[in-house]
Amino acid sequence: MKYALVTGASRGIGRAVSLALAQQGYTIVMNYHSNHEAARQVAQEIEAAGGKCELCPFDVSNPEEVEAAVAKWTEAHPDDYISVLVNNAGVRHDNLMIFMQNDEWHSVLNTTLNGFFYLTRRLLKDMLTHRGGRVINMASLSGLKGLPGQTNYSAAKAALIGATKALAQEVAPRKVTVNAVAPGFVETDMTKDLDENQLKETIPMKRFGKPEEVADLVAFLASDKAAYITGQVISINGGLYT
Amino acid sequence: MERKEIEDKVKEFLIDDLEIEEEKIVPEAKLKDDLGIDSLDYVDIVVIVEKKFGFKIKPEEMANVVTLRQFCDYIESKVGNK
Repeated sequence: MKYALVTGASRGIGRAVSLALAQQGYTIVMNYHSNHEAARQVAQEIEAAGGKCELCPFDVSNPEEVEAAVAKWTEAHPDDYISVLVNNAGVRHDNLMIFMQNDEWHSVLNTTLNGFFYLTRRLLKDMLTHRGGRVINMASLSGLKGLPGQTNYSAAKAALIGATKALAQEVAPRKVTVNAVAPGFVETDMTKDLDENQLKETIPMKRFGKPEEVADLVAFLASDKAAYITGQVISINGGLYT
Repeated sequence: MERKEIEDKVKEFLIDDLEIEEEKIVPEAKLKDDLGIDSLDYVDIVVIVEKKFGFKIKPEEMANVVTLRQFCDYIESKVGNK
């Protein structure tokens, strides 16, 4: 049995990634923080399509919860390991920096960056000893270009990109690849408060991306065909930023 | 556990899991310089030692372990003839 853990799997890109990886034959370990109803719906979708999944709710930004959840999973699956990790969980608390509160800064960094660290560190050991694995980090256009009103989010995603490049070199000898995907504007809950009609005029493709398009890229990076791609940040943004 | 058994088990995993040539495996061999064991290999060693010898290596206890003999001494100190 092949297992893929997707964080923030109950909505948006995480949901689409879970569905795509399930279609590739992975049993999806669906992490989410608190939206049980949304997670159950995604689980039903996966199962309706003939896939398999397990619900695994915990807060990625809490190291004790991460440790406990992984220990419980490992105990229940003594002969298996999670070979694909998609660090997708993220939150946005936009504000101009002069108005940004401490908790707006810290919560964004905690979920995106510290969450990546706590969970990846924990799952990496098995990938190394099994001589194979995929870590795919959900970065963002915001982390490459920087977006005004998102100093917290841009900082977190840029840091994730730096960590992706460093870790890729650390673990490459063990056939573990580490890559980042940097979506531009994608139709999800996270972008529903944005003015799509105005923003899409700035995109050469003249439209927002679909979560499924990002998911297909993640699924490719998770596949054997992407074995020689590591330490990369792959943009998927309709030509918005190159 | 007898010393001979410890040495045999260590030799076995060095050959099988870390793909080290048998002729290089002598007590005086330095883990890093002679056997080419790098920091990633230690991840394997920690896991294998736990599986084969039933204890968790503490990185600080390995700080002074340079040679294969010292490595076996360390394991013996944990599991030898108890």
